[in-house]
Amino acid sequence: MAGGQRAGNPYADVVDVRARFNVQVVADVSVPTAPRRPTMVLAHGFGCAQSMWRFVVPAFTDTYRVVVFDHAGCGAADHSAYDPERHATLDGYAADLIEIVEAVADGPVTLVGHSVSSMIAVLVATARPDLVERLVLVSPSPRYIDDAGYRGGFTAQEIDELLETMDANYLGWSQVMAPVIAGNPDRPGVGDELADYFSRADPDAARRFARATFLGDNRADLGRVRTPTLVVQSRVDPIAPAEVGQYVHEHLPHSELVTIDSFGHCPNLSHPDLVVAAMRGWLEES
Amino acid sequence: MPTSREERWNVVPVALLMLDADSHVLDANAEFLGLVGGASAVEVVGRRLSELLTVGGRIFWDTHIAPLLRVDGRVDEVAVELRTHDGREPVLLSAVERVCEDHHVIEVAMFRARERARFEHELVGARRAAEASERRVRALHSTAADLASVAGRDGVAWVLLRAAVSTLGAGDAALWLVEDDAALRRWGGAEGIVGPAPEELTGTSTRSAGAVVVPLRVAGALLGVLVLEPRRAASADPLDPVVLAAAGQQAALALARAALHEQSVSVAAELQRAMLDGALTLDPRVEVAAEYRPGVHELQVGGDWYDSYRVAPGRLALSVGDVVGRGLGAATAMGQLRTASRAVADSRAGPEQVLDRLDRFVENTGTGFMASLVYAQLDLDEGLLHYACAGHLPPLHVRADGTSAFLWDARSTPLGVRTAEPRASAAVQLARGDVVVLYTDGIVESRDRDLQSGLEVLLGAATDALVGTVDPALGLGALAERLVADAPEHDDSCVLALRWSGEPAREAGPDVAAQRAK
Repeated sequence: MAGGQRAGNPYADVVDVRARFNVQVVADVSVPTAPRRPTMVLAHGFGCAQSMWRFVVPAFTDTYRVVVFDHAGCGAADHSAYDPERHATLDGYAADLIEIVEAVADGPVTLVGHSVSSMIAVLVATARPDLVERLVLVSPSPRYIDDAGYRGGFTAQEIDELLETMDANYLGWSQVMAPVIAGNPDRPGVGDELADYFSRADPDAARRFARATFLGDNRADLGRVRTPTLVVQSRVDPIAPAEVGQYVHEHLPHSELVTIDSFGHCPNLSHPDLVVAAMRGWLEES
Repeated sequence: MPTSREERWNVVPVALLMLDADSHVLDANAEFLGLVGGASAVEVVGRRLSELLTVGGRIFWDTHIAPLLRVDGRVDEVAVELRTHDGREPVLLSAVERVCEDHHVIEVAMFRARERARFEHELVGARRAAEASERRVRALHSTAADLASVAGRDGVAWVLLRAAVSTLGAGDAALWLVEDDAALRRWGGAEGIVGPAPEELTGTSTRSAGAVVVPLRVAGALLGVLVLEPRRAASADPLDPVVLAAAGQQAALALARAALHEQSVSVAAELQRAMLDGALTLDPRVEVAAEYRPGVHELQVGGDWYDSYRVAPGRLALSVGDVVGRGLGAATAMGQLRTASRAVADSRAGPEQVLDRLDRFVENTGTGFMASLVYAQLDLDEGLLHYACAGHLPPLHVRADGTSAFLWDARSTPLGVRTAEPRASAAVQLARGDVVVLYTDGIVESRDRDLQSGLEVLLGAATDALVGTVDPALGLGALAERLVADAPEHDDSCVLALRWSGEPAREAGPDVAAQRAK
């Protein structure tokens, strides 16, 4: 962080980025691979943290270095990583992700984004095509609010309602509620980590992230992507409906659309096997 | 009395639901059906729970609750709203996911939470208000500090525009200031920012697109109008008219203060100019030139002066001095001291006696304490120069043969500071064509060099210019101009230069135009 430290330690920047965004690198080194393992970076969506990927990560650690992290203001990211100005739009999150990719990988990576992070990943791929070899977008939506000739699924008023709901759960986001969420006798050890993300999420940052996510419009960015892309769409997704997935596919120049038989906006959690199968099939093919 | 578990499912005062793994309703109890306004089970079963929630709750379910349930198996006390026939019903929801006959099912319990929701709403509102108030105080504090750091109207205008974007949350801002002719002059901002309409001049108002118009008034008088555009980013906060109105009051006061300040500065500058504007005494045996430039420091004039006058038919007095302080006070003190030095000088008094008499003047009037000055008298026929320095920098003697030196003798304390040592004077014999330069410290003092090097620079510049090693030799007027122009800008600078020829100059008229202070 300090300039002096930087001069003395060439890795200080890298260490700093890893600490700031709670970056974790997972690789099963017992499995022999080519001399250089490719890197896969998984970016979590709005309302979540890196634990969102917990059922997907193990499927790829045999062949990839799998990298997960927490966005600024989410999960266990360092408090100082969040800046209301920088993170007022998705561009700030994209700039963070570029730093992360540069810090964890030498060559281009496979970048996987869920929900709003699929648009953050699109911004990274357009700004720095040299860093991204392949893109996987899980439950993407370039715009949530309906527009002339475009159906995003929500009206502006409905998005305001979401913000109200987030306000209503304001206390739930704070330390007060953490102990109730923690601990589940049926699944020991699983809950603590999530309780952690609830307790640590900064409510103001979450609220702004919601605005940046649901009030943004990234449709124009899709056409600028030159990276081969897989779009993974839930059959039923109340947040990013099938027609939005179709729209994304049609406007991404080099994309393939796979619709999986899943419900909900978070198939990576609810149907990880389907998500993994879709990704595997496409990654092996391409 | 219901006794079976089956029956109790329908009589407990808790809304209960069983969902499948994708949150479709498998079963709902009577309390839940009542909660959503007396719906029948058929209307509910098979639908996803999120469809029964308001849109906010739906998104919250799919982005927060469902993932948490999947990973953690349980959520507690989540506030959502059910859609009912006549609106919405706030509830608190707890849920567990469990395995039932090889299937994942979700058991949900809900309580009415109208009272709690209202209470929490108030809590959140109170916290928001506290945060907003803290933000406002901080923004106002920072704006006030910025505004206090500038002097002129220009400075206030630019500081205000910067504060609008940096601390007051605007994406862009433009300012209109009322000029002397009552016209509005525009400062900054993109073209797209529209100027204020007449009806927007009464009080702070918000336009339909979110721009805020803040009239800047002091005691009812309109001094300007600030128009702020909100930031365009989707997540940006809207502008806060309350804090902008308060910042507008600060800005209006700063503008009023700046206008007063500029007025006093211009009065002081006018006064100083008028006092220095008298004709330099001319005589065919000498050439005299002088130059003065006020410093840019705080836009205030200082108390530098120069003067030359005849004390006897064959004797010319020269003085350059510097009164402590700035602004009107310094300018008037300078005027008094300059006049006093003329009044106390006569043909019989040497420079040391003139300084003595000025000491008495300072003691009697309190005016000009600690002023420094160099006072000299030149015998116009013989070229003998008597001089004395009261706390002042030494005169520079540039000889016609190209050599030069500072006159370091006859030094004593500033005016009004008496010591045991009596005031003394010294004399130097000028040769024909020699030049003597008197100056104030603004010519040689600078923040980035010491006095010694400042003096060396002056000596080199004056000698080169007069002897003409590089360019043809400069006239005295041009020399004075150049020395002042090359001086560091932060302080007043004043130069008086004299060349003695000892014989009538070829073209000396009786009243050559006077050098004017700039």
